[in-house]
Amino acid sequence: MSQVTRERLFGFRHAFDDRVTVVLTLTALILLLLAPLLIFVVTRAANSTSDKRKELWDRYRSWIWLALFILIPILAGAFWTILGVATLSFLCYREYARITGLFRERTISLIVVIGILFITFAALDNWYRLFVALFPLTVALIATGGLIPDQPKGYIQRVGLGVLGFALFGSALGNLGYMANDWNYRPILLLIIFAVELNDIFAYICGYLFGHRKFVPNTSPNKTVAGALGAIVLTTPLFALGAHFVWFGTALDTPVRLLGLGVIVSVVGQFGDLMLSSIKRDLGLKDTAKLIPGHGGILDRFDSLILVAPAMFHYVNYFVGFAAGQPQQIFSGWEI
Amino acid sequence: MEPWKLEPARDTGLTPSERFRSVRRESGLLESLAHHVCFSMLRSYFAIAHRLTIIGRDKLPAHGPFVLAANHCSHLDALILGAALTPRHRERAFPIAAGDVFFQSNVTSTFSAIMLNALPMWRKNCGPHALADLRRKLQEEKAIFIIFPEGGRSRTGSMMPFKHGLGMLVAQTNVPVVPCGLVGTFEALPPHRRLPQPVAIKLVLGDALQFASTANDRTGWSQIAAQVESSVGDLVTQSRTA
Repeated sequence: MSQVTRERLFGFRHAFDDRVTVVLTLTALILLLLAPLLIFVVTRAANSTSDKRKELWDRYRSWIWLALFILIPILAGAFWTILGVATLSFLCYREYARITGLFRERTISLIVVIGILFITFAALDNWYRLFVALFPLTVALIATGGLIPDQPKGYIQRVGLGVLGFALFGSALGNLGYMANDWNYRPILLLIIFAVELNDIFAYICGYLFGHRKFVPNTSPNKTVAGALGAIVLTTPLFALGAHFVWFGTALDTPVRLLGLGVIVSVVGQFGDLMLSSIKRDLGLKDTAKLIPGHGGILDRFDSLILVAPAMFHYVNYFVGFAAGQPQQIFSGWEI
Repeated sequence: MEPWKLEPARDTGLTPSERFRSVRRESGLLESLAHHVCFSMLRSYFAIAHRLTIIGRDKLPAHGPFVLAANHCSHLDALILGAALTPRHRERAFPIAAGDVFFQSNVTSTFSAIMLNALPMWRKNCGPHALADLRRKLQEEKAIFIIFPEGGRSRTGSMMPFKHGLGMLVAQTNVPVVPCGLVGTFEALPPHRRLPQPVAIKLVLGDALQFASTANDRTGWSQIAAQVESSVGDLVTQSRTA
C-alpha cells in the first residue's frame, strides 16, 4: 500500500485540509449548539403541547448522534467512511427487507448481503471495474438464487424485490462509499449530506409558508408544489457555491455545470423522499422502523440520499471523475 | 416453503427492546445464524461434557407446528431440547422462558432473543391474552415451542404438577405435543448451583399426543395437563431404570 493510499484511508491529520470541510463541520456544530435555544424559543412562542415539545427534543437528541455517526468516520479517513456507508447500506436493506417481507427469503437476502459486502470491497480496493460489474452480476445471482426453492409462484415478486433492494442500498448507496476514493472526498461527502438534509428542510419551510397546491396527494399528502420548487430554488445555488470551491478550476467549475449539479441534487433528493413514501404507502406503514427516536427508521432519515448518490456520482464522473491519481486495486492488485 | 406474501415483519413498529420481548418477533438473517451457531455449539458441548444420549428422536414431527413438553429442574433443560432439534427445525423453535428471569433487563432479553430465540412468559401477570398470542403464533407461523408445564424449575429434582397453560395453547388444535423426559440435568446443574458439573444426561422422547378433540376450556386444559404429565413422568422413570 502506497503512502498516499494509507494517508487517504487512515490519515485523520488531513481531516481539515480543505476549507469546505472546515466550514461545513463548523456549521454543523454551530447548528447543533444553537438548536436547543431555537427549540426553546419556538415551543414557548407557539405554546406547543408537551407531546410536540418532546418530539422536537427527541429529534434533536437523535440529530446529535446522527451528526457524530456521519462526521466522525468521514473526518477519520476513507477506510472508516467506506465502512460507515456499508453499515448504512446494511441497516437500510434490513429495514427494507423487514417491511417488504423479503427477509423471509433467506437465499435472496443472503445474496444481497454478499453483494453489499463485495461493493464495499470494490470501494475499499478502488477497483472501478469490479464496482461496475457487481450490479449485473448480483442481479444474475439473485435471479438464480430465486430458483432454489423450486417454487415459481411469486418468483417475480421475490426476485424483483431482491433486485430493487440491491439496486437501492447496495449499488446506489455504494456510490457514496466509492466517492471516498477521491483524495478530496471529505468536502464532497459532507456537501452532499448537508445539501440533501437542507433540501428536506427547505421543502418543509417553503411548503409551510407558501404551500397551497398539493404536489402528489396520493403519495405524500403533505408535499406541496411550492415546497418542491422552493427547495430547488434555495438548494441549487447553495450547493453550486460549495461545489465551486470543491472542484475549483476543474472542467466542472462553470456556472451552468455547477447549477446543473445543484438541480440534480435537489430534484433527485426529493424523488428519493417520494420513492420511500410510495414504498411505505404501498405497504400501509407510517415509518419503516422505530429505531431513531423522533425520526422513525434509518430509511426514513436517509431516503433522500439513496438516489442522489448515483446521479451525482455519474454527473461528476462525466466531467472530472473521481479518484484521479489514486492507486487502483489497492488490495487485489497482485501480479499473477 | 410458504407462498410469497408482500407482508411486513409482524414486529414492525416496535423499538428494538420491545421487539426482543415481543411474541410477534420474527428472526432475520443474522439472528437465525446466531440461533444456529448457538445451538450447534451447545449440541457439541452436551455431547462432550454430558455424554448426551437422545432416545426416540424419530418421534419428532417432520415440521412445525408442534410443542415439546418436558420436566424442568435446570437451566440446561431448554438448551438440551433446542440442541436436540434438527437444524431445519431450529429456525422456528422458540423456548418459552420465564420473563422475570430471561427478559428483565435489556442485556438478558437481547441475549435470550438473539442467541436462544426465546419468548417471554410473564409468570406474575400472565393473562389469557399472552397465551392467546402464543396460541396464534404456534399455528400461524408453524412454530415449535419448548415448554416446561411445571411453571418453574423443581428445587428437589422430582416433578411438580403440570399447569394449565400448555392446554390453553393446544386444546382443539391439530398441534401435536411431544412429551420429553430429561434425566441428569438436576445433577448437572441444580437451581442452587452456578456452574454445570460434567454429569451424563439422557433425553427420551415419547409418542406425540393430539388434543384436537379436547375441549378448549378448564376441564380440557386439566385433562391435557394430566395426560402430558403422566407421559413425561413415565418417560423419566423409564429412562432412570433403563
